[in-house]
Amino acid sequence: MNEETLIGLFLSVIEFGTLLYLAALGELIAEKSGVLNLGVEGMMAMGGVAAFWVGVETGNPWLALLVAIMVGALFASIHGLVAVVLGADQVVSGLALTILGVGVSAFLGKDYVSQAPGARFEALNLGPLNDIPWIGEFIFGQSIIPWLALALGIITWFVLTRTRIGLVLRAVGESASAADSAGSPVVLTRLIAVAIGGALAGMSGAYLTMSLAPGWSEGTTAGRGWIALALVIFGAWKPGRVGVGALLFGGLLALEPRLQTFGVEISPILLSMLPYVLTIAAMIALSIRSRNRPSAAPAALGSTYRREER
Amino acid sequence: MDNQTPAAELVDIWKRFPGVIANAGANLMVRPGSVHAVLGENGAGKTTLMNVLAGVYQPDEGTVSLAGQQMSFTKPAQAIKAGVVMVHQEFRLIPTFTVAENVALAGSPSIIAKRSIEDSVAELADRFGLATDPSREVWRLSMGERQRVEILKALWQDAKVLILDEPTAVLTPSEATELGRVVTAMANDGRAIIFISHKLDEVTEFCDEATVLRGGATVASSLPVEELDAARLAELMVGEATEVSVRRTRTSPVAEPVLEVRNAAVRDLHGIATVADVSLTVGKGEIVGIAGVAGNGQRPLADAIAGLESLESGTISLGGSSIEGATPKARNAAGLAYVPEDRLGVGLAPRLNVVENAMMRSYRSMTKGPFIDRSATQTMCEDLAAEYKVKVGKFDAPIGALSGGNLQRLLVGRELADDPKVLVAAQPTRGLDVQGVAAIQQIIVEQSQAGLGVLLISEDLEELLALSDRLLVMHEGEIVAEFDPDTTSRAEVGAAMAGAH
Amino acid sequence: MFGFRLQKRETPLPGGQIRAFIVGLLVALLIGALLLLMVDQNPLDIYAKMFSAAFGSSQGISTTLTRAVPLGLAGLAVAVAGSMGLWNIGAEGQIIAGAMGAAWVARLGPDLAGPALIPLMLFAAAIFGGLLAFGPAIARAQLGVNEIITTLMLNEIALRAVRYLVNGPWKDPDSFNFPQAPALPEQSVLPTLFDRASIAVLIAAAVLLVFGVYASRSAWGYELRVAGSSESAAKYAGISLKKKIFTVLVLSGTIAGLGGGLVLMGSSSSPSRLVEGVANGWGFAGIIVAALALMRPSGVAAVAVAFGAVQVGGLRIQTLGVPASVANTLQALILFGALAAAVFTNYKLTRRSAAQAVTA
Repeated sequence: MNEETLIGLFLSVIEFGTLLYLAALGELIAEKSGVLNLGVEGMMAMGGVAAFWVGVETGNPWLALLVAIMVGALFASIHGLVAVVLGADQVVSGLALTILGVGVSAFLGKDYVSQAPGARFEALNLGPLNDIPWIGEFIFGQSIIPWLALALGIITWFVLTRTRIGLVLRAVGESASAADSAGSPVVLTRLIAVAIGGALAGMSGAYLTMSLAPGWSEGTTAGRGWIALALVIFGAWKPGRVGVGALLFGGLLALEPRLQTFGVEISPILLSMLPYVLTIAAMIALSIRSRNRPSAAPAALGSTYRREER
Repeated sequence: MDNQTPAAELVDIWKRFPGVIANAGANLMVRPGSVHAVLGENGAGKTTLMNVLAGVYQPDEGTVSLAGQQMSFTKPAQAIKAGVVMVHQEFRLIPTFTVAENVALAGSPSIIAKRSIEDSVAELADRFGLATDPSREVWRLSMGERQRVEILKALWQDAKVLILDEPTAVLTPSEATELGRVVTAMANDGRAIIFISHKLDEVTEFCDEATVLRGGATVASSLPVEELDAARLAELMVGEATEVSVRRTRTSPVAEPVLEVRNAAVRDLHGIATVADVSLTVGKGEIVGIAGVAGNGQRPLADAIAGLESLESGTISLGGSSIEGATPKARNAAGLAYVPEDRLGVGLAPRLNVVENAMMRSYRSMTKGPFIDRSATQTMCEDLAAEYKVKVGKFDAPIGALSGGNLQRLLVGRELADDPKVLVAAQPTRGLDVQGVAAIQQIIVEQSQAGLGVLLISEDLEELLALSDRLLVMHEGEIVAEFDPDTTSRAEVGAAMAGAH
Repeated sequence: MFGFRLQKRETPLPGGQIRAFIVGLLVALLIGALLLLMVDQNPLDIYAKMFSAAFGSSQGISTTLTRAVPLGLAGLAVAVAGSMGLWNIGAEGQIIAGAMGAAWVARLGPDLAGPALIPLMLFAAAIFGGLLAFGPAIARAQLGVNEIITTLMLNEIALRAVRYLVNGPWKDPDSFNFPQAPALPEQSVLPTLFDRASIAVLIAAAVLLVFGVYASRSAWGYELRVAGSSESAAKYAGISLKKKIFTVLVLSGTIAGLGGGLVLMGSSSSPSRLVEGVANGWGFAGIIVAALALMRPSGVAAVAVAFGAVQVGGLRIQTLGVPASVANTLQALILFGALAAAVFTNYKLTRRSAAQAVTA
């Protein structure tokens, strides 16, 4: 195994980690507000197709990213409307969002299948920093998006733990009636959280179709949305831990196509089961740990809130 | 603010819910710097009226004014902003948040510095004598401590009108005394405190004035508490002399015990002892009453006898055979009937229809092969409804459509259908109207005369004194006293309930 | 907010669910029409073609019913768990597991089993589906681990398991590198009922009927409903929740697994063989089916046929250059429309009374 393959692996770990982290961070924000959104896969697909389309038509990666973020947020707001405002079941609504997103994106992206991408984020040019051996390549050899993801993770952590907005968001997700009686706007907070979740999933989709695997095809998200969902639980709803998990799961995804290069005899397909297996293991561990204390999951996760219920 | 302008005034409030008129022309006037009691039976409309004042409900008719200005709240946030804060009976705290976080939720700067918030919370707590640790998570706190956090939240929001909804229901007597001091301190600070209660002693002790509600309307407003005594209050609250209509003709003490509990102990999920070393005996045809302030272990005791909660130690025997290891099903089959405190949700399944609820105990024997014999269950349910005078519109409608009294008659009737040896009845008449109460009490007395042993857990002292052969008092999980209802007095029992032995 | 609020109706609108379904369908067709206009297609024309493809011929009807088989069984699997308030999101994986189980028996020895081969394969399908639900069932019953996520994770695991098998150990040596298992032996393919429909349709209908009757009439189904209504009430009535949770989730997996077996052995495509895409999204669609049917087996059958028709219609218009994904899109839109409409059977929209400004 030479230096080049190793650097390739590290770059790929960060790329996959970024993809997963963006989507998982979005889901974390939604879930922290008490809304389970199983539509991540669909939101990613919508963001992906939107970014690819704008990229091809305009050649501007930033515009493509912006549109993907907006499409993701708007698309997630269907879930917000149906599950939060109207109070339909979050599980059903979220799954329908995935089916809808995968379906609509395939529909809209029909003419773009196997086209070359019109825009992509290039690796950063940081001058001398790029020349540092090793680090220069795999830390500074990335595009701007992984850095953006890192910044978003830190911002999310800060907002959740150190600001009033974060306090309200967490309160709404723990006990809607408590938050409501303290004067916090439950429905509005949840709607915004769901939309932000969609925005980040859309961003993740854009990163996928513009940078990680440039191009568009039906089903290009390939179950990564489910891994992002798993990641939120694996990381116990904490932005930092989810980040570590994203690197771990991203590492597994990056290893998959390289196993044989490294001379490992295990089937890469079996390796690809690991994120899900690890998540189930983490869930069991969490539930055993929380026997005598409240669970790590937001207490109101998945429940609808209506004030005047009598 | 001069003392003549009421801090809060509600005029002719009407509030209807599907099938219920909760407020029918209720009035309330509260002066700043005073503690104002709002009294009334369960279902008198106290909580609804307070929810109207606190912006949780919008009244259908009537006006709400604060400090002379008319208000129209569409949500609690507006009421809070205007200075009305309600401490609900079920605390609205977030268990995984710290005390300081819970308080900060009620109002904080955009960027939250943990240390400084904790310091300010501690400072505020000190000012009103509310001992608490701001950095502790709420799920680790006792009920009394949680209430202090709720009050802290209200003070943090600078509440001018503070509503306490039955605040002592969850408190130990020493905590209740403590609360009294805090309430006085807050009133002295110029705030108006509304104190919802149905306990006369607390009202005379803590409050300045009292308003009494009955049937959703105000029947007496702003009475000085000195003018209240038990008889007058009862008359106002019930609308007639407080004679319990059903009274037991006591039989000579019965020898044969049907239910024996020995040294029973129960711990809750967090390992806190809720029942400690309780022993009691119920004889054949005997009614044994258990009095006590809510939350002193009555519910876990009843659940443990019925098998819904497991005993940490101790024994229970039914008709001579030990049942403490048996399943709820086996205990029922052995002759134990249970009317739980939560009728809808424990005793009855809310989404199922009337017949399905009526057959909850007997469906196992009403089958043809694997299938339930629907004509048999229908007949059984109709008979049950007829025998216990349950008014049922449609038998296949969800049980929730029945009124409280009908629900309870169905539940009690179902439990008694199999000729049980023992009935454990927890708060069997709570929240029922006068006829409903009388009907349930009548059933209990008749059945006991026919040989049923009854363990009657109630917060209604009159009921206990009228029905019981023997009266036990529970306090902090223990049986602390036993009285003969014929020779004891309310005061004597009340003192025991408060923990004075 | 917005000056409007939802107020609970004193009594739900009668026939609300059917009305909601129709509203959902109309909303879906409307939005679908917009999408079709975007790709320069005449929506009315497309819808007419879809309808006639699904119902216009014996061939169409048989294909619709064939597709309704996995949709119905997945829907039933979800509904059985749903009537107790549990979510089996793992029907997709359980269908895969069921198909793997059936294929495994066929591999073991077609000659060995003889006429018992078909029953044995179906049995294995059911068992494999149940096995996949076993872990989530025991974790939920014993530790309270959320079954939504565990079953969801197992979908992905099952998908990779079948991918592994058809790319590796079970790969057909004569498949020119296509990732697929060898064709099933002739005697394991279910007999034809009519046109493209095999007796899988009858088996699925029978399962739905038996469960429909059993769940609504039996003591077992009653206990399920008590537990679904209130856990405390179930405990009070002497119903063992843990046991119930466990059996219901495993049973749910078994039903979906059987669906996987039927898909493998009774599909209209020939020859029948195990491929990665064996579940084809049916497990997820089954969740929508169950939700639209309000977790009732009778409703599941009807919605499954309707969704089968949408899928067949979708395949037909693919030949006209419209992406087949329009079928999935329509299914999701129907659900969203119906979910929104269903809210209004229990709630009504009212304007806020007295919009006086707050003076404070």
